[in-house]
Amino acid sequence: MKQAALLLLVLAFGVAQAAEVAPPPGLLKLDGRPAPALQLADMDGKSVNLAQLKGRWVLVHFWASWCGPCRREMPTLPKLINAFPPERLSVMLVNTAESDEDVFTFLASVSPELTTLMDRDGQVTERWQPRGLPSTFFVDPQGRLRYQALGGRDWGSVAYLEFLRELTRMKN
Amino acid sequence: MRQYLILLMCWAPFSLAADTRITREGLDFYLSARTPEQTNAFYSARGLPLIAVQEIAKSCFLTVGLHNRRADTVWLDLAMWRFADAGGREIARISLPAWTARWKAMQVPLAAQATFGWTQLPETRDMQPDETVGGNVPVVPPTGEFTLTARFPTGAAGTGKPIEIRVPGLSCPRDGALK
Repeated sequence: MKQAALLLLVLAFGVAQAAEVAPPPGLLKLDGRPAPALQLADMDGKSVNLAQLKGRWVLVHFWASWCGPCRREMPTLPKLINAFPPERLSVMLVNTAESDEDVFTFLASVSPELTTLMDRDGQVTERWQPRGLPSTFFVDPQGRLRYQALGGRDWGSVAYLEFLRELTRMKN
Repeated sequence: MRQYLILLMCWAPFSLAADTRITREGLDFYLSARTPEQTNAFYSARGLPLIAVQEIAKSCFLTVGLHNRRADTVWLDLAMWRFADAGGREIARISLPAWTARWKAMQVPLAAQATFGWTQLPETRDMQPDETVGGNVPVVPPTGEFTLTARFPTGAAGTGKPIEIRVPGLSCPRDGALK
């Protein structure tokens, strides 16, 4: 009897671990294919490689300063970034095909604390095939694509923060 | 509606004058024909070189916004759009691959090519419930009025009843060629 109860407990725990967290509206579930390669440098020349961030969730956010929803969304990103330790959730901003001058001027005016990687010729963005700009991919700790955010949103909203808290608790 | 307008700001920050708005079977459709001056201002502001801006001004750019308000998928496939003049003659659409070939021949920088690509309506796209999509659709400028007939398959596999939208009386405003 005791063994059966223990088995049930183990099974229930396993089911709970495997259960998917329901995403808020505006997130498209992806098929878990491996994320494309992404290694880019920021405006100071510091390079970041997505492959080296395995073991944590990563949000890859493509944007451009000429895009209206990107401009509205950008100031909400610091709330998200500050809500999670980077070893649990990292956010990679990728500017699509703009000059250092345009990006520096824009970020300084809306979110001076943000840094972005520079996809100077737009070819990395092309490989990721986002559905538009802005676009955010959720990459799981194994480097697989799990969700894509459609359009812009308030990343500091309770719905998204709660979803990401639950999601990043899962080991996958 | 707010999301839709924000999207249009992204893809088409032109003025919203002389436009068409249609809602059919849960699909919102918006279209506006742009003047060469508008496309000049739009693409110059996005860093495209003058040679590319001048090339763009030779075409007729239609800004389109779509919002799927249905509970199922709506499919955008520009191959299922037909532009025809008053005599029924087809008006050619200039596809993104055709633009890419032009940009390569003109040695337009890759960054400018990428930015141009992001301003175009995708050639194909599944539109999920409540998803918006927008961008420009360039055509070879016709001399007179023309009609757009666009078909949108529906359902997860695209086998549901298609939505058809017809926009007669379109024209390409020409407000002066670029120097």
